[in-house]
Amino acid sequence: MNGLGLHQRLERNAGLLIFGILFVSAIGGLVQVLPSIFQESLSQPAANTRPYGALELVGRDIYIREGCGTCHSQQVRPLLAEVKRYGPYSRAGESVYDRPFLWGSKRTGPDLHRIGGRYTDTWHRVHLLDPRSVVNNSIMPAYPWLAERAANADGDIQLRLKVLRRLGHPYTDADIESAPAKLEGLTEIDAVIAYLQQLGAGLGAEQ
Amino acid sequence: MKQQTTLAPWFPLRLLISPTKVFNELAGTRPDPFVMFFKYLVWFALIPPFLAYIGAATFGWRLGAAEPLFLPAGDLLLVNMLYFAALLFGLVSTAVISQWMASTYGARQSIGIHFALVTIIAGPLVVGSLVHLYPHVFINILAFIPALIWSMFLLFRGIPVVLRITPERGMLMASALIGYLLVAAVSLLGITVALWSRGIGPSIGV
Amino acid sequence: MNTTATKSNLYYHDRVVTVLVAWSIVWSVLGMAVGLYVAAELVWPQLDFGYPWLSYGRLRPLHTNVVVFGFAVSALMATAFYSVQRTSHVPLFAPALAWFCCIAWQLAIVAGGLSLLAGINASKEYAELEWPFDIAITIVWVCFAIVFFGTIAKRKIQPIYVSNWFYGGLIIVIAMLHIVNSLAMPVTLTKSYSLFAGAPDAIVQWWYGHNAVGFLLTGGFLGMMYYFLPKQAGRPIWSYRLSIVAFWAFTYSYIWAGPHHLHFNAIPDWVQSLGMVMSLILLAPSWATMINGIMTVSGAHAKLKTDPALKFIVLSLAFYGLATFEGPMMAIKSVNIVSHFTDWTIGHVHSGALGWNAMITFGTFYFLVPKLAGRDLYSVKLANIHFWLALAGTMLYILAMWGAGVSQGLLWLSLDEIGELNFSFKDIMGSMAPYYGLRVVAGVLFLSGTLLLAFNLFKTLQGQKVVRVVPPPVAAMEAA
Repeated sequence: MNGLGLHQRLERNAGLLIFGILFVSAIGGLVQVLPSIFQESLSQPAANTRPYGALELVGRDIYIREGCGTCHSQQVRPLLAEVKRYGPYSRAGESVYDRPFLWGSKRTGPDLHRIGGRYTDTWHRVHLLDPRSVVNNSIMPAYPWLAERAANADGDIQLRLKVLRRLGHPYTDADIESAPAKLEGLTEIDAVIAYLQQLGAGLGAEQ
Repeated sequence: MKQQTTLAPWFPLRLLISPTKVFNELAGTRPDPFVMFFKYLVWFALIPPFLAYIGAATFGWRLGAAEPLFLPAGDLLLVNMLYFAALLFGLVSTAVISQWMASTYGARQSIGIHFALVTIIAGPLVVGSLVHLYPHVFINILAFIPALIWSMFLLFRGIPVVLRITPERGMLMASALIGYLLVAAVSLLGITVALWSRGIGPSIGV
Repeated sequence: MNTTATKSNLYYHDRVVTVLVAWSIVWSVLGMAVGLYVAAELVWPQLDFGYPWLSYGRLRPLHTNVVVFGFAVSALMATAFYSVQRTSHVPLFAPALAWFCCIAWQLAIVAGGLSLLAGINASKEYAELEWPFDIAITIVWVCFAIVFFGTIAKRKIQPIYVSNWFYGGLIIVIAMLHIVNSLAMPVTLTKSYSLFAGAPDAIVQWWYGHNAVGFLLTGGFLGMMYYFLPKQAGRPIWSYRLSIVAFWAFTYSYIWAGPHHLHFNAIPDWVQSLGMVMSLILLAPSWATMINGIMTVSGAHAKLKTDPALKFIVLSLAFYGLATFEGPMMAIKSVNIVSHFTDWTIGHVHSGALGWNAMITFGTFYFLVPKLAGRDLYSVKLANIHFWLALAGTMLYILAMWGAGVSQGLLWLSLDEIGELNFSFKDIMGSMAPYYGLRVVAGVLFLSGTLLLAFNLFKTLQGQKVVRVVPPPVAAMEAA
């Protein structure tokens, strides 16, 4: 058999086998993943989407650090019930400044993509410090340590903004210059709340 | 092994008490597939939907959250007829698959004995379906766990005796059948969910 | 050649295999214990006692990383090193490098695990470790590749055996996925920003995430199956031709299926549809391999013993069949509408991880460790108890998550006649408590089985020296 003959060559030559595996497994990525990386419409910010401010960025990085994304998605699907429950469905253009994306894969808790403005800052503060005091059957962990740590405890906010600027986020010199001042006197919980309160704002004009 | 030609009519129930005895009896018989089918399998497939209908009509489905869900009588009838069809398909297909596997494992091949095998496995589940009378999802799951354990125990123990093969090969065949049953169960789940999300059944917003 | 060989080159290098097996068992106990702990936290959220490092969001990545990279990868390295020597009839190439892989990998898991507890988290699923670890992983992986392909290069048997194709696929494809998905710009030693953003990042991440499952947890373990199953059954693989077709079809089609993790998300429709179609196609090679495995044991008439090792391997194939069927099914959009974001996904992962990966590894270890120790398994009875604990734990886990997932999916979407939501999120979440409780029970069952395995194998190895095996003396190189 011809096919078997060809395969015997692969089987007898380790180099050919390695190349064969690499080639065959790369096709999918090249055809499917590569075009979407460079598809312009996926990297165009939505109307109201802007880069995160210093405080919001710190909040987002804390959200990542605490693994909030393991239980909360940030992706409203275009289904009637989801739009009813959470708000307008998510657009690609809203996450162009998300490194990495935080769409999530599991909703042990509710979706958060449209959480911004739904509750007051005070509600969030109480809820983060003691979830069961506001939602009686909640199984969310409490985050008391967020209130104890300064928002700029890592001291690298300017560096973070510079790195993001190199990756193409439009921060001005003034943004970077003034960043530490914006964190002055605030704690991590303020940063997380600032991040949560702007979630979903990117859609404003379209709706 | 003593040879017997007839089977006590209530053998599936006796399985709950003295399985080994029943296995040995079955091993000595050559059950008629039609008798097995009409005397046991059809009823086995009918009892759970029947109980589920009564339960859902009386108490409503309790999915855990908020109020019980009552379906119109027509819908309920349809759902339970589908349930019956699925069970009947499940039971018969398992018997057929089991017969198909039998040659591989050197087991007995008459379809009648495989129908008998399926009645054995299904027995505890049919008894467990009594809990359908109160269709609270979690209580049902809780009740089906011991039923399922007992049914798997019967499967692993029953196959070698009833099909007259060595325990080692019986174990292999039982595992293969478990594989089939798991796939059948998840297909049922998938089909239900797909139909549901396409608007058949209680409405959801899609 | 034999006359000039140094002493260490006369024997198969099995000590490094033994150490890797031991570490794999340590990680399986630890990883599953952490899993059980996070499962319990979903029932009793106070279990973190106010410590950041005990918080659910930090422990869950630890659970997945320890299980996948600690337990599974150590087991794959161990079995790859063991089988590549025997299928090539030569000792390992660069044994010192093999030891480096073994030790460096364990150090990376220890340090990486601690970093996750400290909240150093890149947040990409199954790739949570930050950039210094990504580099360390890459280095170890390259060394793994050198040892593995080096051994193949100096083999004394012409054809490269099928298990080695799968191990080879594991090494090559995981390297490709890991490097691309981890591309990031460092800020500090513990923080970096992904090179990709938003939707493209999501597509790259699930190209990685899905195929890490594909080539590590599926492909790698198929390599394990292709070596250890025929060994156990005492007969060659059922169909050689099927194994070829299935391998290439698997390698080609798996890579496309990632976007089914992003159905109805903000990525282009064509990417979603392609992901769905390729997921369905994937069923064919997955099941072809399963059939090849089942038929191999099924025909093993004379040699079959009631040996716990074979029991585990055969049952693992049943769960492999379930998981590889369930996956494509959940990739169908009309099923995915309900299953996405729910515990059904978690149940699916565990039917694969517990039912397939853990069970085939346990079966392999019950076979391998007595061979390495040169004596019988300490207790067959304990292994049989383990079998039932593992089976019961897995079934209970899957059932609990099916119940939880389907309820969540349907209740979330449930609308009344006038199109208003029927149930609040809070109520639906509250109704999950019993399922989550059942899952804790399932976890206790499965973990106690794993503890029995650890004890049993420890007793088997205790006080024994690793048996020295000499490669077959006659060079089997065919005169081509």
